Amino acid sequence: MSYLFDYLSSLFSSKPRLTPAELQAAFRSHYKEFRALLTANNNALELMAEMEQVVSAGHSFGMSFIRGHCTALSVNIFKMVQHLNKLSDGKYARLDETFRDVAMKLEQVIANRPVTTEGALILSMGEIDVSMVDQVGEKMANLGEVKNRIGLRTPEGFVITAVASLSFIKANDLQVEINRRLKGLDLNNLEELYTVSAGIQGLISSAPLPAALEELILYHHHQLVTGPDSCELLVALRSSAIGEDSSNVSFAGQYRTQLNVSREVVGQAYKEIVAGKYKSQATVYRKQRGFRDQDVHMCVGCLLMVDAVVSGVMYTRGPDDPRSNFVLILAAPGLASNVVDGSAATEQFKVSRTSPHGILESGFGANHVGSEGASSPSTLTVMQAAELAEVGVRLEGHFGVPQDVEWSIDRAGLLYILQSRPLGDTKKEVLPPRRDSSATDDLPAPLLAGGVCASSGVGYGQVFKVRTTLDLLRFPMGAVLVVETPYPDWASLLDRAAAVISETGQVAAHLATVAREFGIPAIFGLKQAMTILENESHITVDATAGKVYSDEVEALMMLAPPKPNLMVGSPVHKTLLAALEYITPLNLTDPTSPYFRPDACQTLHDITRFCHEKAMVQMFTFGERYGFDDKAAKQLVVDAPSQWWVIDLDNGFTPDFDPESRYVQLDHIASVPMLAIWEGMMAFPWEGPPPVSLGGFGAIIFQSTRNTNIDPAVRSVLTAKNYFLVSKNFCNLSVRLGYHFAMVEAYLSDMRTESYVSFNFKGGAADDRRKVARIQLLVDILGHFGFRVERKGDSMTARVEKRSVQYLTERLKILGYLSVHTRQIDMVMDNHDSICHYKEKFSTEINALLGIQKMA
Amino acid sequence: MEKKYRVLIVDDEADFREIMAKRFNRRNIEAVAADGCEMALEKLKACEFDVVIMDVSMPPGLDGIQCLAKVKELWPKTEVIILTGHASVSSGIEGMKGGAFDYCLKPIDVDDLFEKVALAWEKVQISRS
Repeated sequence: MSYLFDYLSSLFSSKPRLTPAELQAAFRSHYKEFRALLTANNNALELMAEMEQVVSAGHSFGMSFIRGHCTALSVNIFKMVQHLNKLSDGKYARLDETFRDVAMKLEQVIANRPVTTEGALILSMGEIDVSMVDQVGEKMANLGEVKNRIGLRTPEGFVITAVASLSFIKANDLQVEINRRLKGLDLNNLEELYTVSAGIQGLISSAPLPAALEELILYHHHQLVTGPDSCELLVALRSSAIGEDSSNVSFAGQYRTQLNVSREVVGQAYKEIVAGKYKSQATVYRKQRGFRDQDVHMCVGCLLMVDAVVSGVMYTRGPDDPRSNFVLILAAPGLASNVVDGSAATEQFKVSRTSPHGILESGFGANHVGSEGASSPSTLTVMQAAELAEVGVRLEGHFGVPQDVEWSIDRAGLLYILQSRPLGDTKKEVLPPRRDSSATDDLPAPLLAGGVCASSGVGYGQVFKVRTTLDLLRFPMGAVLVVETPYPDWASLLDRAAAVISETGQVAAHLATVAREFGIPAIFGLKQAMTILENESHITVDATAGKVYSDEVEALMMLAPPKPNLMVGSPVHKTLLAALEYITPLNLTDPTSPYFRPDACQTLHDITRFCHEKAMVQMFTFGERYGFDDKAAKQLVVDAPSQWWVIDLDNGFTPDFDPESRYVQLDHIASVPMLAIWEGMMAFPWEGPPPVSLGGFGAIIFQSTRNTNIDPAVRSVLTAKNYFLVSKNFCNLSVRLGYHFAMVEAYLSDMRTESYVSFNFKGGAADDRRKVARIQLLVDILGHFGFRVERKGDSMTARVEKRSVQYLTERLKILGYLSVHTRQIDMVMDNHDSICHYKEKFSTEINALLGIQKMA
Repeated sequence: MEKKYRVLIVDDEADFREIMAKRFNRRNIEAVAADGCEMALEKLKACEFDVVIMDVSMPPGLDGIQCLAKVKELWPKTEVIILTGHASVSSGIEGMKGGAFDYCLKPIDVDDLFEKVALAWEKVQISRS
């Protein structure tokens, strides 16, 4: 920022003069470009900040967010480059080329991947392994691996590939219509979501299959029933979306599976499973997990039905503890779907991971409705449990991570693996912190207790019982979802729910898997929940302890862990990170460096920085280039320390001001932002430099000799001139007080899109620790008053934009106050008491300045 | 009361252009709606507008960028604001390079759009003075 002072001195050198009218016209033209550049600069910085914020905040966003922001950013930076070249008479034409180069790279990052419609329409299970995930989806690729590489038994079958579903959609020209219906869909409007979702599914289900595809499906179906298991006539059609079942992203139960499908309806069942991509909960889930619609392709596995006697789910480690030394098996008579849809009574087995895989523990879960005291027959024999555990450990060994396995045992006692996917690893993120017993000693008596912890954590909200689709549409944001059965269909409510309670179900239910992923506390199998809990009553759900309390229990809520960032690792998240590589890194940090030039800009942030710096230089060298009148800078006549000079850019002085005068009274200042800053500066007398101990002062002198950022000329002039550049609505104040530099800049307009206040602060003479402490103090205070603050080492920037003139005027008063009162306090920022003292003092005085009773 | 200035709204979504035209009229700004580039050019051949708000992807026929060039050919001092639901970096740059006053994305806050139109009108006045 030292250029300001270098160039301000040149304002007053003798140059050929323009007539006053010419000068004013030239200046107005420059000022117009300058102002437009600043507006574009503000917009660009705001867009960058929004993009960085979504990366870290974990809010869901889609490709439209990325495309929209990258486009808006490019447009604003294009404008900056144009304005800068107008200000500098084309001096930086090279910048245009640099900008186009960066913008082109950015476009490549966010461009849609071409979707291929070439390749096999159908692949037999015998020819599939994990390398074919882009053709058959993750579920079927994993199953092929289980069959062909691990050598375990899986149902015979084939997969209708992604190429087939794309061909089907393309043959009916459905994608344009689907995109049109999805465009602008508000996922928070549940009624709209369900209507659009049902409409798209209807569109797909009613479209005819291409004849070649239909024939091929029937041919493979025929091959199956005449194959080794010719007695079987029914098949199961299972969705296997690309992107489904990867670690940390389960899509559990979000898509469709159809069981017992006969030859006559296999084509229709296939279309319905393809249509299942647009089920409402799947649409919401994709958005929340950062999957782009066009990246998810529906492959469908067509597998012979297993005539199951007993089925279930197996976790090769405890879902709550990835280091546990047992395999957890949940088993129920019949099909595996009874277990994962949460409707069946399941028996739970903990089986040793080591041979001979003995049963460590077993028992029926909360769903079991046997007669009191009666012992139920076991669903699995000791041998079967041991076989399952052995298979589980093999699967984990092969895939390298704990697995979540669906299985069935048929009438012949043969074990079939139906699915094996990574056991979600979000659990470690959502595990509650260690319970401090003192925090929970004085808890009230619970309303309800029991069930199983399907997803740990603590949540608070009003009770909302869901029985029907109509209830589902009315589900309020932040409520506790209370249901009888944990159907996967309720998953679309999980981003709105504070917690889930179900009267039935257990940890293997799909809804439990999704709840764990989303970090939503859930208790399943909590009997009488639907009866005892009343709609609209407020409750605290401690899922970890399996207890429900009336009202908010603060001691428990303090233990609630933050929600996991579900977007991390998703395709959209990765795309945004890749795009940000061309956007946010700032390589041009030193304007005095020989590398501060257009061809050194590597990112849009570099170009923004370059344009802003050079535009400032253009404005401040206006006098040098056009023969600025040496009387332009007027000394402010005030009873205040330091010298203050004001340069009127455009209507910054009142009309009755004498332009020949070398001095200006405060009464003649018409600049609204300058007056606000001044009010803040003068509201409380500056008490002078804080007293510093001899040791502290010695350290500061030592630092001042070492700190290369401190300009020697400035170091010797502690009372340097300070300049206000003003117009009626604009003010740029550069303050160099002692060893620190502060710049306040503002444009106040009734047009919110143009209005902003920015503040830069850097330097100090103390050592880094104390300078950083002062910066932190500023960050805390400005953050509290609504500034968006960015801090780097001992410098910081704070911005606030697009707010009312009154709001921004108040912020300027705060900045005026801080510009004066933070000078030299870095010298005493060496202990906690001192920091607290200044924080309290500044807060109190700013509140008084703004007429606020008390800082929250 | 005399209208402040004239705005042409070009969009293939009937609801959007009709609602926007009504909102402008309520603010004492004369607004005329066109359903696509061809109708817009017909109206522009008949008389000059101060500001044109235009969607860049209006099938069929000319797209917004081509339409922008035609508008600028007819009335170089008319300012054009491109408004689109199909953003891309290259179309944004193309639009700005083609002389658009601004390139905005749908959905847009109506007050923000009014401000942009007001700024465009400010520029029109300066360029005509």
